[in-house]
Amino acid sequence: MKQITIISEDRPGVLAEVSEAMAAAGVNIETLDAETIGGAGVLRLTVDRYDVALRALSKTPFHAISEDAIVVQLEDRPGELARIMRRFKEANINLRSVRIIRRGDGTSIVAVDTPRTDEAKELLKDVMVS
Amino acid sequence: MRFGDRFPPEGAMKETREQYRLSAADQRRLDGVFERIKRDAGTFIGYPCNALFDYSPLYRFLSFPVNNVGDPNVPSNFHLNTHDIEREVLDVFRGLTHAAADSFWGYITSGGTEGNMYGIFLGRELYPEGMVYYSEDTHYSVNKILRCLHVRNIMIKSCPDGRIDLEDLRETIRIHRDVPPIIFANVGTTMKGAVDDLEGIRQILKDLAIQQHYIHADAALSGMILPFVDDPQPWDFQAGVDSLSISGHKMIGSPLPCGVAVAKRSNVERIARSIEYVGTLDTTILGSRSAIAPLFLWYAIRTVGMEGFRRRIRHCFEVADYAVDRLKQVGRRAWRHRNSVTVVFDRPSVGIINKWQLAVQYDTAHLITMPHVTGNLIDRLVADVVADSHEPTGEHVSS
Repeated sequence: MKQITIISEDRPGVLAEVSEAMAAAGVNIETLDAETIGGAGVLRLTVDRYDVALRALSKTPFHAISEDAIVVQLEDRPGELARIMRRFKEANINLRSVRIIRRGDGTSIVAVDTPRTDEAKELLKDVMVS
Repeated sequence: MRFGDRFPPEGAMKETREQYRLSAADQRRLDGVFERIKRDAGTFIGYPCNALFDYSPLYRFLSFPVNNVGDPNVPSNFHLNTHDIEREVLDVFRGLTHAAADSFWGYITSGGTEGNMYGIFLGRELYPEGMVYYSEDTHYSVNKILRCLHVRNIMIKSCPDGRIDLEDLRETIRIHRDVPPIIFANVGTTMKGAVDDLEGIRQILKDLAIQQHYIHADAALSGMILPFVDDPQPWDFQAGVDSLSISGHKMIGSPLPCGVAVAKRSNVERIARSIEYVGTLDTTILGSRSAIAPLFLWYAIRTVGMEGFRRRIRHCFEVADYAVDRLKQVGRRAWRHRNSVTVVFDRPSVGIINKWQLAVQYDTAHLITMPHVTGNLIDRLVADVVADSHEPTGEHVSS
């Protein structure tokens, strides 16, 4: 089952808002867990209608990230991103995109997209959020 | 008056405005939209679009199916165009961006996004294996462009003031030294009006001995500010950029979104494609292009003039300083970058954000003192901020 990761502000009500958005789109949430990382709320959910859920979430203020991207948590300090990039370089894995989703409380949450997702997950397992 | 009294010519199918009259309900609908826009224009302070213009002498051109399809420098079989006017506008931008006459090319775009797409497109065509580097303060539309163009990309951290973090950029490029960097630089970021340090970026490329590189600058708003200040940050061809995108509907002002894409001619010639259909050598991204937008820009340039723009920019800075002072007086943090009309301040309540159409990001909002924004308008906003200061801030309005 494919997973969606949602990055939001860490505040009360996010869970309810995501649930409401899913219900309004006729999407059933199969699994859901949440945690706080560096001042951001991170929700991981699986649903019965993946594409419909992503479309519905795109209309909300939340960053919804599909399973095609790997979400990692890095320390927010100079060179940290480069350190991760070096792993890809050494493993000869190309990157499609690297995007900072959120920064705060000394932490960056970054989405990484590569054509070799499984190998990349292995490379990033120590910093992977989803 | 006959519908299309100049076009189509005598003998063509006769159609009258009466024949196609709107129903009463549709007329009410149209009137309602007009009234809504008219009302909201009175509190239009959060987005960088100048509302101070009068193009009524140009309305007569709206009677024709004009179209600037193709390269403005190449004759076309489609004669209902304003290519000559477009070329004059581009020549003005050639001067503003300090490009040499024999190495400059450009065209009038549908807006800043197309200009940015054009710049990244050129970079990718030159370096198909290149990697685009851009800061997290870059306009969100760049993500769409990167996806459309299928070009590899890495987002670089921004400094708290909105400029690209050069240390992060240096370390990330260092790892990919064998891949030509395509730098997407901001000359005035969307939220904070920050200008990326182009000298610093070029120094990194020099230090790392990277010969093959491309720099595109998104100067959507500031591209019509920096030419008119005494101490501009490095931002144009003189600063080593390969292409620029400048919006027309922002500081110049236009009811039609528009802009200019300008680039080094040698790079553009590499992507030229011949199109038989309209008998023109087409180097633009779009096919059909507005022939009205060049008229608007030309008219503004000819009537306001360079000295007029300089005066306008001075006025905008004065109002920006006034806004910073007034917001600080009522206990809000407020600041602006040098040579920027973007005033960043503490995020107010949802009611204020909606009424004044403010762009927000996390705990900050901005207002932009375009030429139509007055001290009186700032006073009204500040009064609302004070009156509403006890309301909780909302979370559902994004920039």
